[in-house]
Amino acid sequence: MARYVIPPRDERTQPTRIVPGYPQTPWRNPKAPLVRRPPTLSELTGPIEVAKRVQLLGGDIAGHGERQAIGQLMHLRLRVVDEDGTPVGGSVVEIWQANAAGRYIHPNDDDHAPVDANFYGAARLATDDTGLVELRTVKPGAYPVPTKDGWWRPPHIHFSVFGRVWLSRLVTQMYFPGEPLNGQDRILNAVPDAEARERLVARFVPPTGEPHNALVFEHEIVVRGRKATPSQP
Amino acid sequence: MKIPSGEATIGPFFPRRYVDAGANDLTQLDDRKADGEAIEIAGIVRQEDGTPLDNLVLEIWQADAKGIYRHPADPRHGEADPKFLGWGRAATDQEGRYSFRTIRPGAPQGRARHVNFMLMFSGLMRILKTTLYFPGERANEADPVLAAVPAARRALLVAREEAPGRYRFDLKLRGEHETPFFDD
Repeated sequence: MARYVIPPRDERTQPTRIVPGYPQTPWRNPKAPLVRRPPTLSELTGPIEVAKRVQLLGGDIAGHGERQAIGQLMHLRLRVVDEDGTPVGGSVVEIWQANAAGRYIHPNDDDHAPVDANFYGAARLATDDTGLVELRTVKPGAYPVPTKDGWWRPPHIHFSVFGRVWLSRLVTQMYFPGEPLNGQDRILNAVPDAEARERLVARFVPPTGEPHNALVFEHEIVVRGRKATPSQP
Repeated sequence: MKIPSGEATIGPFFPRRYVDAGANDLTQLDDRKADGEAIEIAGIVRQEDGTPLDNLVLEIWQADAKGIYRHPADPRHGEADPKFLGWGRAATDQEGRYSFRTIRPGAPQGRARHVNFMLMFSGLMRILKTTLYFPGERANEADPVLAAVPAARRALLVAREEAPGRYRFDLKLRGEHETPFFDD
């Protein structure tokens, strides 16, 4: 197996830690400068057999027949690659989202939007050799954040990805193209670089007739790490 | 060359079923007991004003009892304990408490024995990464990662042994006694 190195990231492509208007962030993010550390084997290895510890749940979470969830049926083709563009196979991907009305199944969600008895909103699966996972779901709804000044989250899907090594672990969110709330979302817009924000938005695939009943989106997630360049003799 | 995706907070709604029962117990795999000494690591996670944090997700990664990582990048991984995964997940309760059962890691080559931590939470736009060290280890003084931490803050990364094999490792995200976190 190729050895991987983890180059530092361009800070403009990553969210600021403290986000104006996101009231929890000033209490929870370190005040002291973060410590740069020399990467050792400990950070350049990582869990690659997570599925031995947690149960995979499959990628079809929309339900079928009388148990089909309410909402716009959609397929998501999600590809996980590294910084070389090489597919990351065998990586566990955890996916979670609100239902079509913008409601999560979670004790923390006390919003008034209705729960859908046929929708829990969580998929956990492993990428195939081409780095692909496929999700069949309903498009999540937008929802208001309980702040006083009218912040709504646009429709989005959460991902937790393990990648190849400890430092490739990624938690991110995917947005939908053309959503009017994208432009004012405080989490999406915490990423300073416009192109980096654009890469968090899925691509809409124009309908081709197959599947006949679902909208199709594609999205790429890039985890950290690239093949080590052999040093000169 | 591709640019790594932007991180985002895990938010307040990480599904409870993703913190699987037993995911915080690293001492066995497939019903077989891992080699080495079982230990417990527990603590409380707090934010700046001291409030304990509920529903915060922690993950750990460590070497096995011989200091070998279960990963092909470790030249010795062929000798890794097949009964030890090295990874676990826990979430804090309403009092901010978490706990792991694991194996006392061996010292990997060039490092003191240690356990890597990751913290994910609502309001954390980026994963926070830190490392636990064990008290009374002479190798701590030579550990290159601990050495990167300003000397006055290193003690915050050393767990306290409350009883034989029972370690206390509290985490403070910001403010007084703030845990040192790493930027990689």
